[in-house]
Amino acid sequence: MARFSDRREFLRDLGLSAAALPFVLNLPSLGFANSQVRKRRLVVMFSPNGVVPSAFWPDEVGASFTFKESLKPLEPFRKQTLILKGLSDKVRGDGDNHMRGMGCLLTGIELFPGNIQGGSDTPAGWAKGISIDQEIKNRLQAKPETRTRFGSLEFGVMVPERADTWSRMVYAGANKPIAPIDDPYQMFRKLYGQAKDQEVVKSVLDGLQEDFKKIKSAVSSEDRKLLEEHAGFVREMETELASTRGQDLGHAVPEIEPGLKHQNADMPRISKTQIDLMVSSFAADFARVATLQYTNSVGGARMRWIGVDEGHHELSHHDDSNNKSQEKLTKINKWFCEQLAYLAKRLAETPEPGGGGSLLDNTLIVWTNELGKGNSHTLNDIPFVLVGGGLDFKMGRSLNYKHTPHNRFLLALANGMGCPLEKFGNPVYCQEGVLTGLV
Amino acid sequence: MFNLRPRAELHERVALKVIACCVLITAGFSLPVQGGALDGATVYKQKCVRCHGPSGEGTEKYARLLAGDRTVPALSRLIAKTMPEDAPGECVGAEAEAVARYIHESFYSREAQAKRKGQGPRIELARLTVRQYRETVADLVGSFHPAVKLDVAQGLTGDYSSRGGRGRNRGSAPHLNRVDPEIRFDFGTSSPIPEQRELEPLSRKWVRLPVLPIPLSAFRAFSQDFHVTWRGSVEAVESGEHEFLVRTENATRLWINDESRALIDAGVKSGNDTEYRGSIRLMAGRRYPIRLEFFRTREKTSSVTLLWKQPGGVFEVIPARRLSPTRTPEVLVLSAPFPPDDRSVGYERGTSVSKAWDQASTEAAIEVADYVSSRLPELADAREGASDREAKVRAFCKTFVTRAFRRPLGPELESFFITRRFEGAKNLETAVKRVVILALKSPRFLYREAGRATPDDLDVASRLSYGLWDSLPDQKLFDEAVAGRLHTPEQVRAQAQRMVQDPRALNKLLLFFLRWFRVEQPPELVKDRKLFPGFDEAVAADLRTSLRLFLEDLVSSPTADFRRLFDTESIYLNGRLSKLYGGGLKPDARFQQVKLEPNVRAGVLTHPYLAANFAYTGSTSPIHRGVFISRSLLGRVLLPPPEAVAPLPADLHPGMTTRERITLQTKPQACVTCHGLINPLGFTLEQFDAIGRYRTQENGKPIDASGTYEPLADESQRFDGARSLAAFLRSSEETRAAFVSQLFHATVQQPIRAFGPDVPARLAAFFASNEFNIRKLLVEMMAISALTPRGPAA
Repeated sequence: MARFSDRREFLRDLGLSAAALPFVLNLPSLGFANSQVRKRRLVVMFSPNGVVPSAFWPDEVGASFTFKESLKPLEPFRKQTLILKGLSDKVRGDGDNHMRGMGCLLTGIELFPGNIQGGSDTPAGWAKGISIDQEIKNRLQAKPETRTRFGSLEFGVMVPERADTWSRMVYAGANKPIAPIDDPYQMFRKLYGQAKDQEVVKSVLDGLQEDFKKIKSAVSSEDRKLLEEHAGFVREMETELASTRGQDLGHAVPEIEPGLKHQNADMPRISKTQIDLMVSSFAADFARVATLQYTNSVGGARMRWIGVDEGHHELSHHDDSNNKSQEKLTKINKWFCEQLAYLAKRLAETPEPGGGGSLLDNTLIVWTNELGKGNSHTLNDIPFVLVGGGLDFKMGRSLNYKHTPHNRFLLALANGMGCPLEKFGNPVYCQEGVLTGLV
Repeated sequence: MFNLRPRAELHERVALKVIACCVLITAGFSLPVQGGALDGATVYKQKCVRCHGPSGEGTEKYARLLAGDRTVPALSRLIAKTMPEDAPGECVGAEAEAVARYIHESFYSREAQAKRKGQGPRIELARLTVRQYRETVADLVGSFHPAVKLDVAQGLTGDYSSRGGRGRNRGSAPHLNRVDPEIRFDFGTSSPIPEQRELEPLSRKWVRLPVLPIPLSAFRAFSQDFHVTWRGSVEAVESGEHEFLVRTENATRLWINDESRALIDAGVKSGNDTEYRGSIRLMAGRRYPIRLEFFRTREKTSSVTLLWKQPGGVFEVIPARRLSPTRTPEVLVLSAPFPPDDRSVGYERGTSVSKAWDQASTEAAIEVADYVSSRLPELADAREGASDREAKVRAFCKTFVTRAFRRPLGPELESFFITRRFEGAKNLETAVKRVVILALKSPRFLYREAGRATPDDLDVASRLSYGLWDSLPDQKLFDEAVAGRLHTPEQVRAQAQRMVQDPRALNKLLLFFLRWFRVEQPPELVKDRKLFPGFDEAVAADLRTSLRLFLEDLVSSPTADFRRLFDTESIYLNGRLSKLYGGGLKPDARFQQVKLEPNVRAGVLTHPYLAANFAYTGSTSPIHRGVFISRSLLGRVLLPPPEAVAPLPADLHPGMTTRERITLQTKPQACVTCHGLINPLGFTLEQFDAIGRYRTQENGKPIDASGTYEPLADESQRFDGARSLAAFLRSSEETRAAFVSQLFHATVQQPIRAFGPDVPARLAAFFASNEFNIRKLLVEMMAISALTPRGPAA
């Protein structure tokens, strides 16, 4: 039922009356995509528990670098990849590092005191501010030329069914976490439910006309007038539905794999499905901002499909000297990197509708994490691996910013998306302004 | 929702009527005599036609239809007194009587008007009204949930446990289970669980959290940690957006109706917020499952209060009378917005269609289809992956369409509405959506009795259920109809007697009363703060509750005595109302019946909610009150005023009473036609000020609450105060007739005369000889109306 109210709110924003245009939203792109302005898209992809630095960060700085094991899947996208080392989440205050790592990652601001007790430090609640993706989305939605049907889409993969500081990184505002949708069917309904409903209505219209004929023939002449009038409206609806047929999505409604369940073993297939849906929604210009959250901060996926039986979080606590664990953690991060590469590949294969190039040319994917390293729980060297040409950053490089507050990088994302911002989150960490050296 | 109020209010606010001046030529004619008898037609031509037109249709000067409900004697008295308007007194005696008779027979009376239109009233083909659509869909889907029997207790079941009291530790850990009438607790620094208060700090092995080892400093808090889950159902009594509020310094979650999504999710305590809100649309007269979770983990103190704000109301603790420990099933509350139904004849009816309505019905059908197809495991008992899933879904579809059409399908319709929809459907969900959308768009669902002139047993079942409930037949009624046991008045009566006790019947009756009293939508009662300190939104909301409680008592009592509307002396008050109206209750007292001043209160006539509603911010409005009595209670026809007139401001005449001021302003001859009826009725309530408090003086002058009324067919009546007016109304034939026809129209939604010219009189006589029992009257209405054939005018 929620999406009905969404639809009406949306129509109201457009100044369209729901009664006048009941199916307007089924005209998929509604002429939103303004092809005169170059589209810019931002995707933030999250995976948890830090990385194995030695198997992650290139040894070199600059255009000439070698991908370490964890990042090898990006080799085909070397020219579109930008690796940022040395960005640190300096936000302190309540909550343990997993909590702050997650809650402050995109908000750049402290957590409220609260009742969630972590493994150390004081208990905490939600973040005190909006996250950068939502800030950007709000600004894009405020302008007709960048406004899209949803503005932003929050995807998840195997996010636990509980709302706490470890499982939310997107915030609509202080104390307003947004839950990612990790059920591909739910996401599908959100994206294509109305188009599907329209198909169903169309499929029963002939039957309805037939039924009206039967009933009409049975009633008295006085009663027939009312039914005639009613049948007239049904015919009008048929005509209106028929006339929408030409204006299709620009792509077919995607078919998604049936039978996926919220269970560890389905994680690879859920991941693929969610990425496919995200690419479809970009092709239809449903949104310009998306997030893709794998599990949660402290997430414990058991990646048996790559030969790792232990939970991810458990492994991440093992000492650096435990080679087996280091290998497994590297494998895990490599698997996440493969998901990133798959997303990049799908975007690269999909032409930008109404413009030159591919979706990837106009999209920047940011792969990040709540920690720099799992066993130390450090918030220094938070991984930020960027792929795609969406923000006109100079790609094909590996950089080291050496303990720069990550708030400055958040500012760079906003500015790159055409949303000028000088401060975001806690202003203390924005003092030197937008991160330089990216463009 | 649209109702009569805006129009009526405009009229009533206008308050005074200036009848456009109409000059009649009356110069020197001799009496028109034909064959020795006075000829009304000739008099009319000579003295009236210039303004009123040849057939009373009016002229440019006076563009009003000359039609109404006065009897010939009343009409002749009025003509003698007021006509011709510029020279009253020139048409009197036998002449006035002759012209009155002519006017009455030719075009003035209801019968004459019907004749002129060339047709009598008939039972028209009608679609479901918006209310009926919403109720039907809720019951249709709801019929697939198991029935529940309500516990007699009020309140919610509270399940209290200490930390560690979940799962397998449940039995051993301290816990407590009880029914709490209201959720309003301040536990302070201790736990409500008795054993827990003496607990030693818990040992390390007790603690299982999904995270890392816990610092020792955290342990102290755990010894007092606990959580409570309250479960049950909450009854909505208003329709519309309800706002829920949980006030707590701890963590909480609240689910209303939708158990898959929390309306309030503050399970994470974050920052200093202590108020959490969520809104949800509810339909009146239904119960919704509710679950409230409350956790105390680390906070020093704990407290929790559950409040709601009903449409038009203020935040209040949800009272025990609206809570039940019995968990009821989810209700489908449609969100698709429909255009309002036609109420131009004084009651809602579905005798017209519009494009907007058709589109709304499509949107609603999609909404129901989505709802149903996503809940097949519960509704159709069709589990994912079960081998009999498809068979169960098909069976569900057949039952669904049968219930929607209020009629067994038969092989041909089953093939058309079910089997063919499954053909080529990619999956079961799509098939179900097709079935639901086609069924809910079909005229078989949207209309009642399409194509049958004489109702069969199944149509009779629908007439009963829509008449009494505004919804579809329940299984019992349907079974009777299918078995062919629903075509004699006795059979209908037996079912109606059963059905009239259902909460849906009581709810429909309550809605009728609120409409009858012109307060269906909560009016904004704003009063002068200086004159009426303490009268605020909360008081206005309490007054509505007070009236509602009185009406709930009335309709749910087996005697359901109509006369109690006029002679009940006590009023429901709570502490807040008592402070303003008397009765000496403690400030936090709950609603209870209180007798205020002896021998002055007269049921709804003096109920402060209505007295305050038919009043201005600072002064009473005898005109609003008089119009209410004339129109609603006496069923008199008042034409709207031709021109807006603002009431005289009170401060222009500071020495006058309201009565004196109104009399002054309506003195012109032009006003008398209507205000001669309205004012003397309204004046009888002058002992009740603009918020309905009793008073004996106004501006230092004693209140004059005398009044008069000239019944249509009876002696002129004199009153002194509300109780004497009430004594007349409770036994007045006019009031009885007005009530019977208005209740009939609200119930059956077809013109009463379409069921026979004598039906109003028969029902009124039945009512009088059955102790004015409203419930019995409803049963009789159904017994008479449910079997009447549709067809040409009766």
